[in-house]
Amino acid sequence: MVLAAGTGADVLRAVLQGTPPGAVYALVALGFVLTYKTSGVFNLAFGAQAFVSAAMYFQARVEWGWSTVPALVLAVFVLAPLIGLLMERLIFRHLRTASAVSKLVVAIGLSVALPSLFETLTGFSGVAGKTPGGLVPDGANVFYDPLGVYPFSRDELVALGVAVVAMLGLGALFRFTSLGLAMRAVVESPRMTELAGIDSDRVSSVAWMLSSFFAGMAGVLIAPRFNTLMAPDFFHLVVVAIAAAAIGRLVSLPRALLGGLGLGIFIALFRTFLPRWSVDLPWLEPFQDNLTPSMPFVVLFGVLVLWPAIRRSPAAADPLSGVDPPPLSLVSTTRSKVLTRAARVFGVCFLLLVGLTVWFRGDVVWVHLVTQATIMSLIFLSVTIITGLAGQISLCQGTFAAIGALTVFQLADRWDVSVLVAALVGAVIAAVVGALLSIPVLRLGGIWLAIATLAFAFFFDAVMLKFSWVGGGDSSLLQGHRVPRPVLGPWDFADDRRFLVLVVVVFTVVSVLVIRIREGTTGLTLRGLRGSELAAESIGVSPARARMVAFALSAAIAGLGGGLLAIHQENVNYGNNFTPTAALFWVVLVVTLSARTVEGAAQAGAAFSLFNAVILQGAGLAWITRGHLPGFFPLSPKWRFVLFGLASIQFARHPEGLVEHGKRRATVGIDTRLAARRERASSQDANGGEGP
Amino acid sequence: MTTLFEATGVRKSFSGIRALEDVSLRVEAGERVGLIGPNGAGKTTFFNCVLGMLRPDAGRVLLDGQDIGGLPVHRRARRGIGRTFQRIELFADMTVREHLLLADRIRRGEGSLLRDLFGRGGSDADERRRCDEVLELLGLGDLAADPVEALSLGQGRLVEVGRALMTEPRLLLADEPSSGLDREETDALAATLREVQGDRGFAVLLVEHDVELVASFTERTYVLDFGHLIAEGPTAEVMADKRVRQAYFGDVEVGSGS
Repeated sequence: MVLAAGTGADVLRAVLQGTPPGAVYALVALGFVLTYKTSGVFNLAFGAQAFVSAAMYFQARVEWGWSTVPALVLAVFVLAPLIGLLMERLIFRHLRTASAVSKLVVAIGLSVALPSLFETLTGFSGVAGKTPGGLVPDGANVFYDPLGVYPFSRDELVALGVAVVAMLGLGALFRFTSLGLAMRAVVESPRMTELAGIDSDRVSSVAWMLSSFFAGMAGVLIAPRFNTLMAPDFFHLVVVAIAAAAIGRLVSLPRALLGGLGLGIFIALFRTFLPRWSVDLPWLEPFQDNLTPSMPFVVLFGVLVLWPAIRRSPAAADPLSGVDPPPLSLVSTTRSKVLTRAARVFGVCFLLLVGLTVWFRGDVVWVHLVTQATIMSLIFLSVTIITGLAGQISLCQGTFAAIGALTVFQLADRWDVSVLVAALVGAVIAAVVGALLSIPVLRLGGIWLAIATLAFAFFFDAVMLKFSWVGGGDSSLLQGHRVPRPVLGPWDFADDRRFLVLVVVVFTVVSVLVIRIREGTTGLTLRGLRGSELAAESIGVSPARARMVAFALSAAIAGLGGGLLAIHQENVNYGNNFTPTAALFWVVLVVTLSARTVEGAAQAGAAFSLFNAVILQGAGLAWITRGHLPGFFPLSPKWRFVLFGLASIQFARHPEGLVEHGKRRATVGIDTRLAARRERASSQDANGGEGP
Repeated sequence: MTTLFEATGVRKSFSGIRALEDVSLRVEAGERVGLIGPNGAGKTTFFNCVLGMLRPDAGRVLLDGQDIGGLPVHRRARRGIGRTFQRIELFADMTVREHLLLADRIRRGEGSLLRDLFGRGGSDADERRRCDEVLELLGLGDLAADPVEALSLGQGRLVEVGRALMTEPRLLLADEPSSGLDREETDALAATLREVQGDRGFAVLLVEHDVELVASFTERTYVLDFGHLIAEGPTAEVMADKRVRQAYFGDVEVGSGS
């Protein structure tokens, strides 16, 4: 038995190999738990913070030619804590009483805004192949091989060393300083600490700075692993952090630390001892090859779904829930009939106007953009269902859309099925996947549901997509897939304008269906569930079933939209359209404008496709000023992410959407003014009657 | 009278601390029963065990003689257990009428997704009539179209009652309906509850702090203290019971509970 003889050394090697990444995971997990426990923010922007520090370091080191120490000081010791401080002071401090889910949405908005803000301000951009160096020169080289089983690289040793120093430092801070004591107390119970006369705001600022520092440090440490410095890669880090923190059940810092280390070692062990199925079952090869890197997502999903304790523990649901009053309910959040009617009339007129303009005067580019906007609006209707109606944040809408798009490609490519039929089949498949996904995450609800969908999106991205019957194999991943345009009887939709008409028809039909669902029993049930799950259950609503319906519906709409998008672009373009991080922006966009209304989805679609051309490139202004554009145009397209990302911060205050909120307030204002005028008029009449 | 609801030998402990110790309780059809006890007596725990929010460690919960102990919350609701909440639980963003409408639809099991998709999900005349009846009964007629955010706490409680009524419960569990209300509002609520109960004839299990409310509303009363039932019987007798007075009035100032 050769295998048995090697096992002991294999285990040891795997443990050694897993320790350095585990130490970095522990670092992020610590930072994550620190902010979560002190401010109740499930900080999904953590990865973005790590990216900003890593990019700053890269910028200073490579572009400006600084040496290691000043670059490190700037990126990790100055910039990172500053970002943390600003996030706490300017944003999260004011959202103390908001629900955990709205804070999560704010964090998602920041995770979209931060990298783009940094990139536009500093002019940084990741260059392919320009691998950022680590803290030591020649980092990838083998440096030390203590036990003769696993040689550590210099980078790994540095990571290990830094992580150990950071943890010892944190330990010492907690153990020996009064600030540390206060912080431990805040972690245990923020409100009790405040009652004891400790300024928990100050403690929470420090916690944010520390956690942000850890994020920055981790970012710089893992940057050498990536080929190109790009924000999405760093988003993985936050998933790892959540997984590690979830293993520690989000309750304590030492457990988060152990969770991180454990995760690193577990992944290494897994890699070593994973049975080589692919020898016998070649079709499993993509699974085999990609399971290891996606392990954090699998672990996270598994922990959430299989470990009932985590979702039951009140601390995990919302650390402040026991001590804070419930979030204030928002007065007059229902839409007035006048506004609804006005919106519909205006919507139809506007669409007609745009349609006619594009049809008669628009060139290829504008037809293309408007078509894209309509299809994106269709996809965003899926957010209207799941977030606006069911009140759940789903972060895997991109995956559902991708399933639709890939179905169209596979059916058209393999069996020559008509793409329109294929799009419908794709919607059905997406609905089935959505329903299946909802079974394990059914009881989660709130932030955990959002996180589970995120884990699923990453899992699909990393593993499922690699199967040739899903993603079409490796070559197509690079080159994309050819998808033909449909021909329906006498109409050949290869003509872009005809296709636009088709897309508008589909969007209109789905919009009507969404409105019907919203106004029917399904919508009523989902709104009830959103309003109070407890009360809905008490009158006999099954939350599991209602949520499954919502998930399936939403997935079907996303799938249909994804299929149409592929048909429109004549290509699936997974990397551009459907990645988990791209889908994050969708959610941000829709909740900013309005997740509650069809109109909101349409606006979000328009913003997604047209904002860049009309506003940032200056086409809108140029049209108004007849071609005279100020010198600072065109603006960087990244402002889109910055603006909408930052605007979604308002979700915590106005869950119906910022634009929607403005409109409602305006109509209420007009209403009261009209009523006042009417009253005045009638009282004058009455006076006039009495006078003579 | 027939036994509608029965809990026998319900026991529940939280990490070693006994919250409920062999609690047995019976409610006949159409009866008004009170459950009182000082803070921490286990009232809420018992309530949650009955409703299915908690699984008791031992004991059985029977409705119509059938064990409902294994059913999830919403299934118990469909069998005919309605409830109101101590900390008010309304559907944010919905009008008063919509609250009742939803409960009505769920009870009838009406309204499939398909109906909605064909645009037949709107409310019909029958539904409106049923809602109007309950609204009228509770005196909420004028508020029907208002969003619940605009209501006072007392009105909100009535909406909860109305919502529960629409499920046509045979047993209504009222969880501290007086909490947060002043004397006047409590009396008004009690009067309305009495009227509605007389009209519809369902049984009520009233879990309360407010002894006056219990004394005026219920026929029989159970008293819990430290997880034990220390007394049961006709309300007037129980209120006169020495042990009850000691456990209840001796420790807690009447009406000052949280």
